[in-house]
Amino acid sequence: MNRVKKFFKYDNVGIFFVLPALLYMIIFVGYPIISNFILSFQDVTVKTLLSDVKEFVGLRNYIELFKQDNILTTSLWNTLIFTVACLVFQFIIGFALAVFFNKKFAISKPIRGLLMMPWMIPITVTGLIFKFMFGTDVGIINYFLKGLGLITENIDWLTNTATAMPAVIFANIWIGIPFNMILISTGLSTIPTELYESASIDGANKFQAFRKITLPLLRPTIETVLILGFIYTFKVYDLVYVMTSGGPVNSTQMLSTYSYKLSFEMFKYSKGAAVANILFVILFFVSLFYLKFTYSEEEA
Amino acid sequence: MKRLLSILIAGIMMASLLIGCGSSGNETEAIQPAASAETGESEKAVSAEASGGASGTVTIWYYWETAGHQEALNTIVQQFNDSQDEITVEAKYVPFADFKKQLSIGASADELPDLVILDNPDHAAYASMGIFADITDKFDVSTYYDGPVNSCTLDGKLYGVPFGSNCLLMFYNEDMLKEASVEVPTTWDELLETAQACTKDNVSGFAHCALQNEEGTFNFLTYVWSTGATSYEINSEGGIKALTMVKDLVDSGAMTKDAINWTQGDTMNQFISGNLAMMINGTWQVPTMREEVPDLNWNVAPIPMDMQQASGLGGENYAVVSGGNEEGAIEFLKFATSEETCLYMMETMGYISSNSVIAEGQFEGDAIYQAFVEEMQYAYARGPLAEWPDVSDAISLAFNEVITGASEPEAAAEKAQTTIDSIVGQ
Amino acid sequence: MGPEVSLSKRNNVLYCVIAILLLCILLFPLYWMFVTSIKTEKEIFQIPPTFWPEVLNLKSYAAQLESGDFNMFQSFGNSLIISIGAMVIAVILAVPASYGIAKYHFKGRKSVVLVFLVTQMLPVSVLLTPLFIMFKNLHLYNTVWSAILADATIGIPFSVLILRNYFASIPKEMEEAAYIDGCNKFTAFMRVLIPIAKPGVIVCAIFSFLYAWGDLAYGMTFIIDQQKRPITAGIFNFMGQYGTKWSYLSAFAIVTIIPVALIFIFMQKYIITGMTSGAVKG
Repeated sequence: MNRVKKFFKYDNVGIFFVLPALLYMIIFVGYPIISNFILSFQDVTVKTLLSDVKEFVGLRNYIELFKQDNILTTSLWNTLIFTVACLVFQFIIGFALAVFFNKKFAISKPIRGLLMMPWMIPITVTGLIFKFMFGTDVGIINYFLKGLGLITENIDWLTNTATAMPAVIFANIWIGIPFNMILISTGLSTIPTELYESASIDGANKFQAFRKITLPLLRPTIETVLILGFIYTFKVYDLVYVMTSGGPVNSTQMLSTYSYKLSFEMFKYSKGAAVANILFVILFFVSLFYLKFTYSEEEA
Repeated sequence: MKRLLSILIAGIMMASLLIGCGSSGNETEAIQPAASAETGESEKAVSAEASGGASGTVTIWYYWETAGHQEALNTIVQQFNDSQDEITVEAKYVPFADFKKQLSIGASADELPDLVILDNPDHAAYASMGIFADITDKFDVSTYYDGPVNSCTLDGKLYGVPFGSNCLLMFYNEDMLKEASVEVPTTWDELLETAQACTKDNVSGFAHCALQNEEGTFNFLTYVWSTGATSYEINSEGGIKALTMVKDLVDSGAMTKDAINWTQGDTMNQFISGNLAMMINGTWQVPTMREEVPDLNWNVAPIPMDMQQASGLGGENYAVVSGGNEEGAIEFLKFATSEETCLYMMETMGYISSNSVIAEGQFEGDAIYQAFVEEMQYAYARGPLAEWPDVSDAISLAFNEVITGASEPEAAAEKAQTTIDSIVGQ
Repeated sequence: MGPEVSLSKRNNVLYCVIAILLLCILLFPLYWMFVTSIKTEKEIFQIPPTFWPEVLNLKSYAAQLESGDFNMFQSFGNSLIISIGAMVIAVILAVPASYGIAKYHFKGRKSVVLVFLVTQMLPVSVLLTPLFIMFKNLHLYNTVWSAILADATIGIPFSVLILRNYFASIPKEMEEAAYIDGCNKFTAFMRVLIPIAKPGVIVCAIFSFLYAWGDLAYGMTFIIDQQKRPITAGIFNFMGQYGTKWSYLSAFAIVTIIPVALIFIFMQKYIITGMTSGAVKG
């Protein structure tokens, strides 16, 4: 009797709430993660895909990738730059927009709703639109830049190794702004207005109110937005594949596009799995860091 | 923590249970190319009652997205189904971008169709995976062009039947050439001159698809083959010459660098919009061009050459999947490759029959198409090699580096050759 | 942010003007896509580009309706079923889960959050083959269920993590009040907390729906019959082996978005009212 009572102590009940979702994810995603892991330690290519004996080669795929394959290091670097650049801009712009639309002016709500659109379009389609807009001769972006006097010659955005990355970053920022905006908006709405009232009574100005009230209370939201944003951006695939296919000359090759290419275009299944795992491991450590950072704050 | 661990284990056990129940023996069956229909285990013959005679359902996978192509295929499928009672054929569309992925997954998961219509350079890879049936004695391909037949042959055995072919030619805008007072180029030097003469304002003299992928390789290799080199000899006199030619074209402004982002379709769009004077493109563009710009004065000519005339061979092959309803598939194939049916497909889809006997009778009176048929004898197939995608990758990287100026032709060629040697040497 | 003082009329107009400007800038690519969809293929590539078509071409929209085996209405219906299914599963599983994580400090809580994050970390292409095998063995291959179950895996972790913050911001007093009124933990959850968290729940439902709606990979890989595929699969009708048909493709994009935009605009009134009234009143 005591044991039952103890089990249903306030805290442990929580696990029952969590169980269904947890099990669902473990079943449907846990298995692929493990099978991918195993695949990366074997030697599976066109010749061995269907044979019963798949040679276990330990870390060989990884070693080969790091030592001989400079595309791997390139894609690693690209993915990092891409993710950080996108996050910074998406977040700042999304935040600014959330704050702006938090004001009560006549059309704030419908306009904010419409601003969600970039995010609702299938990413493949967005990729194609931007590919078209960034075209060297027929692209509207060059047309505008020339019109504004910022450039004199058309920039070959997607065919130049230096400008391809900025182009895909730009497109991804466009997609990600609504995500940031709406989540921060939701977060803003959880802040009770009385706090601002008492702050202004105490003589704080808007800027101080922002620093001392808004930011701290928004912290959990900001953290969630950033970590999810990081994970989703880091594994970007559709957008880059459609706009540049990882080119030109691998200047926009990301870990996920490279993994796909290895597996499904070059039939090097194990190598593709290994690259995906590298992506996975990086994200894993980032999450560990995030968790350590956020939850330790809470226990305090 | 312990609780979490037990949940994790429970979850994974449940997952493996789900995988395991009814799991077919893709881990226990080694499928050899020489396997005949007898190895059709129950899980493979889901769609066939393989009881000796040809019967049951035959599922086809294909990737043509053009409505006209789909209708043509469905028509002959319908004809076949109506003509007899034992076999029912179904055709399923799998988009081109997804096709190789779907085949790979299907092979791993043991969920493949009975018949596949696939791009000829990919044929060897899947054949070497062991998923295609050996049909060497079941078809007579003696009258077929060499290129297409080579693409479905591996180790001397036939693993498919060519469906239809197409090739590349140079298209040119007659008005633009006349305006620039130049003749149709026939050699590389003439091409450089003519293209430069036609370049002005926002009109580029010449272009072709130069994407860093199979499509780009397909177009680029016409240069290489024209020098007499093979697609495996990039670091050769011919290979370097080809790379240098491309570099010269781009550097002189004759060919727009944008082409490294253009598919063959994009290239055609530029041509019909009047932004391009000459292009390399294929047979399949002809119907679209005739429909979209009937008033444009354009014509075709052999691709300007270095040492010899060369073109690239495109097109698809049929392949029978090993362990599926092989007999049913073969029955359908016999029907599909018969002269009448074949001609119908070719005419409707704008293809050239891989069977030279049929091809020579096609397109009477149509000079443009006949130029393509004529070119078939100079059309080279890519590969065939199981690892062709790797080789193609090295080649497309090379010419992309040269076009963007990232590398000089000699360096790019050497790099490509190192990769190719390591692949072919295996 | 700042106290909710109503804006002066002048400021009100100013903000409205800025808002519209922002809208025009941000949504320009969509406008451009719309304009492209009503141009002829030839005019699309014209230099310099035209901002409104010289020649109106509505052929691309007619072509959307049917193309070979592709039937737009059927595909739309498929997408609807798949997206709603995924949304329902996601909400049913994620809402209690995020509540549990937010309110209860049980042992292993951090690890649970880690597990949810971890399931997001593999690129989709890697999940395809194992899931395919799983669905085939469950005999769900080539049914909408495979897409529903797969798409839910996108919505669940996302919802759990977002809702967690929302639930965490609801003060304990609300629950205590419920207990005093005689509820146990589960009924407290159902009767009191969900209604308060409704705006957050709705935001998650919508995001789960949209993620499923925009999904291409799962719907394409697990369903082989053209007639059962979601509407996103239709993109390949215009993106084939030999290039992209831009006018058709842009028309397709518009057609795919309009219904979702409509749904969203109407739901939006509901959400935003909920969101901006705040989770807690005094």
